[in-house]
Amino acid sequence: MNRTLLIYIGIIATVIISSVGLVFVPDAQLFALEPVRLESGEQRPLAPAGAIAMGREVYMDLGCIYCHSQQVRPEGFGSDLERGWGSRRSVPRDYIHDRPHLLGTMRTGPDLHNIGLRQPSEDWHYRHFYEPTLTSPGSTMPPHRFLFRRVRIEPGAQPPLDAIEMPEGYLAANEYLVPTDRARHLVAYLLNLNFSYDEPETR
Amino acid sequence: MSAQALTPHPAHFENQNELNDRAAIDASCARPVMWFLASSVVWLLVGTVLAMLASYKMHSPGFLDQWAWLTFGRVRPAHLNAVTYGWASMAGIGVVLWMQARLSRVQLAFPRVLTATAVLWNIVVAIGIGGILAGWHTSVEWIEFSLPVALALAVLFSVFALISFYTFARRQTTHVYVTQWYMFGAILWFPYLYLIANVMIHLGQARGVAQASTNWWFAHNVLGLWLTPIGVGAAYYLIPKVIGRPIHSYYLSILGFWSLALFYNWAGTHHLIGGPLPAWLVSVGIVGSMMMFIPVITVAINHHLTMRGHFHMLRTSPTLRFVVAGAMTYTAVSAQGSLMSLRSLNEVTHFTHYTIAHSHLGVYGFFTMIMFGSCYYIMPRLTGIEWSSARLIRIHFWSVLVGMALYWIGLTWGGVRQGFMLNDPAVPFLDVVRYTLPYLWSRSVAGALMTLGHVAFAVLVARMLLAWRRRHADAEWEPEPEPAARPARAEAGA
Amino acid sequence: MTATFLMILGGVVLIAATTIFGLAWAVRRGQFGDLRRGARSIFDEDEPIGRPTDRFPGDPS
Repeated sequence: MNRTLLIYIGIIATVIISSVGLVFVPDAQLFALEPVRLESGEQRPLAPAGAIAMGREVYMDLGCIYCHSQQVRPEGFGSDLERGWGSRRSVPRDYIHDRPHLLGTMRTGPDLHNIGLRQPSEDWHYRHFYEPTLTSPGSTMPPHRFLFRRVRIEPGAQPPLDAIEMPEGYLAANEYLVPTDRARHLVAYLLNLNFSYDEPETR
Repeated sequence: MSAQALTPHPAHFENQNELNDRAAIDASCARPVMWFLASSVVWLLVGTVLAMLASYKMHSPGFLDQWAWLTFGRVRPAHLNAVTYGWASMAGIGVVLWMQARLSRVQLAFPRVLTATAVLWNIVVAIGIGGILAGWHTSVEWIEFSLPVALALAVLFSVFALISFYTFARRQTTHVYVTQWYMFGAILWFPYLYLIANVMIHLGQARGVAQASTNWWFAHNVLGLWLTPIGVGAAYYLIPKVIGRPIHSYYLSILGFWSLALFYNWAGTHHLIGGPLPAWLVSVGIVGSMMMFIPVITVAINHHLTMRGHFHMLRTSPTLRFVVAGAMTYTAVSAQGSLMSLRSLNEVTHFTHYTIAHSHLGVYGFFTMIMFGSCYYIMPRLTGIEWSSARLIRIHFWSVLVGMALYWIGLTWGGVRQGFMLNDPAVPFLDVVRYTLPYLWSRSVAGALMTLGHVAFAVLVARMLLAWRRRHADAEWEPEPEPAARPARAEAGA
Repeated sequence: MTATFLMILGGVVLIAATTIFGLAWAVRRGQFGDLRRGARSIFDEDEPIGRPTDRFPGDPS
């Protein structure tokens, strides 16, 4: 039995030693991940703040990760790049400010890592959240009408400044659709999702 | 195989002691274990309602879309947590407690504390689920419960774990049966995983991809080091016990356990293949996943050789049906899982409904079926009440079996095609969405079947609980029975 | 990031360590000695080998 025990210990020790070796060697590179400096002098990625940070919280509490991923797979593995979901694959540095990560594991809806680049219009997002089939026929995304308010104004009065342009048939005569703060923040967050800047790791 | 006594036939008196012991052990388990098992059935129903909601919303998104608290993005994690921490974990804990007591041949320690633990567990999970629907959650898959909820659960779990160990410490046996190894594995590893994962998510410096790897290291280990050992361990006890024949190769069962212990916890990062993680981290996950073939194949061989010549008993034993169905599914889903971690396959199936079919095959087709079987064996022995209707049992079995099969076939086929279409940039995304619709509908149909099965099961459990309460009330008017006349268990389910 | 990886590594090492400990304990206590006895330990005089212990309600034994 002693020999058997030694064999078992030997197997387990091998596993531990190899894992230690695998962990510490490449980790030196990862531990010191800093934002990258662009030619313009700006840093990327920027730490989210203000409306963008609040919008991230809305993204989280509505559970967007359960249908959307935020990771662009590399060339030759899937067709993320060919679909126009990004100009380059995602790298660990893209996520250094993410707390928690929102990588996602389902693509019931498209990947959003670069949605700010793909859909830069605020109004498009508002319409899409209100009734997804407006902008995307056949979409199964749930409507998020609770992110908006309908505002009725006196005939002749000024429409609200942030009213969203809607097609015929959705609103009554003097009714306007206005985003709530949550909607505003969420869209600000999405518009900020743009990782098209050049990245040293992908050269 | 005819009965073989290992010792000369014992005197009647010694036989009676054995009987008393087992009856006393079951009696000590009755209230706490029934609390855990009955509560788990309630959570199964809650989780089923949430599941049907989520499934329906996926193909008919306008359904009940007026409120944020019912939006798909919240209903889906509410479902996952209800079935994981409500149904699966509570059923698992009930089964572990009873099997530890039985296999240690000693009464369960601190039954009142355990009952209180069950009650509190229900409250904590309810708060957690309500929180998710209200938007109060972490948005980290499998670890959605907010910190106070998660901490409370960790404390309750530790109470259960300590009492399990204490019960074992007072054992009257010299031998530690293989099931107990599996249960100890589950009890030891899970709280540690849960604590680390929650610390990293809530308090740690972890951000971005580092946190993602922690996330999936944990999530996969919930399956591999918590649910799997309980399920496999339960099968190792129930199959031989029901058919009256020992495990074919005890050596294989031990090998299976230790190799599972070694390899399973490395597999987690296979959830992130193709993602922005260091390549070595993902590779380790793939290697760990492939090594899992060893324990899985040993379990499969062992169960099959134990069952060989006894498959006809599937007709006569409800427990055996559910447990064998679960054990066979274990082999299938594990083989599938190992294959899914190969990059060429993963490239197609990652992000698709195929993954969902696989995860349900595991948690439902394997673990839940074995828990059903365990409940059918354990509950009559605790309450002394027989199941009230063989027909309802059959309805339960066939509804969930056919339901799960339909679920898996629909989403596997649809998911693979979805994956190929997603990888073809010429196919517009919305076309892919449209393509998956009939398969999502088939999942709702499958879910309706499974719901039927759950309702049948819940009715059976409710009737048993009512009869148990009635018998308790009646018993107050009867004199305390003599030990010799003790067997309060119904002769049928003994 | 360092903290994360160290914690995961620590977690895995601890799991491996408890595994080794359990294995060593089992070997020392002779749990692997008589495997036949182990498989039969769940049976006794009341529920012996050869007698099934479960059936549908209402079925004759």
